[in-house]
Amino acid sequence: MVTAEHGNSEYVAIWVWLVALLVIGLAIVALPIPKVVVVALVFAVAVVKAAMVVRNYMHLKSEHMLIIAIAMVPVLLFIGLMITLVPDIAMRP
Amino acid sequence: MEAEVSAGTLKPGMIMEETPTTDTVGRIPVGKMGVWWFLASEIMVFGGLIICYTLFRIQHGGWESEAAHVNWRLGALNTLVLLTSSMTMILAFGAVESDDRAKVKLYLAMTVALGLAFLGVKSIEYTHEIREGFTPLSGLFWSFYYMMTGLHALHVTAGIVLNAMLLGLATKGSLWPHRQQRVEFAGLYWHFVDVVWIFLFPLLYLV
Repeated sequence: MVTAEHGNSEYVAIWVWLVALLVIGLAIVALPIPKVVVVALVFAVAVVKAAMVVRNYMHLKSEHMLIIAIAMVPVLLFIGLMITLVPDIAMRP
Repeated sequence: MEAEVSAGTLKPGMIMEETPTTDTVGRIPVGKMGVWWFLASEIMVFGGLIICYTLFRIQHGGWESEAAHVNWRLGALNTLVLLTSSMTMILAFGAVESDDRAKVKLYLAMTVALGLAFLGVKSIEYTHEIREGFTPLSGLFWSFYYMMTGLHALHVTAGIVLNAMLLGLATKGSLWPHRQQRVEFAGLYWHFVDVVWIFLFPLLYLV
């Protein structure tokens, strides 16, 4: 059985990870690497941070399938829109 | 002893006591289901804005000179503030689970204070930017900047009001025994506001 104290220490550990990822995101911007790599890395870090909050603080990792579906459908729509629309602008001569 | 009064037995002058909502969809409380439906619609609101911003930014060559004027240090500070407030909010939920009423009040108060700190930092940023002449009418980047951060700040304000109401109920002792589930529902909303900022920060301040 998970005790309240154990649960709280887990929540604090997640926060420490989130702060560490914030610092990593800031450090990436200062790296002497191509801009496109910086953008990709910074958003990869943001996705990891968001996933940690949603999974652990919003408890989506242990949530009912229906709730997961409600949350994921708009996210997939967002990703689909991005994938279909960005090339239209980015590849325009 | 609490009398169970159904709407059908109410007589003129009687006031029906608020009772806990036990309705479920499957095994999911309707309140939680409602919050998640609301958050799903919010994903599309912010998602639509983020898509438009990204498309315009690519089309206009990156807006790097405009983005150089936003204060990333204050943005990073606000990210830290919101991440910390998410932790205090989930600790309030943990305290509800373990029925530690003093800690529920403490963590809710901390969440409200951190939310106010976020708005304070944001208002310092806005003041500085407007004094430098960067208003919502200064160009497309600034229109998006004020639109997205302003809409997010409105959501933070709504979260602060919600959490302050819960803190009020907890202080009066009327959060228990029927309303403590609201801490979880308010927490879901607050964490969502945090997640939105996790994406707005790199979009507007870092790249």
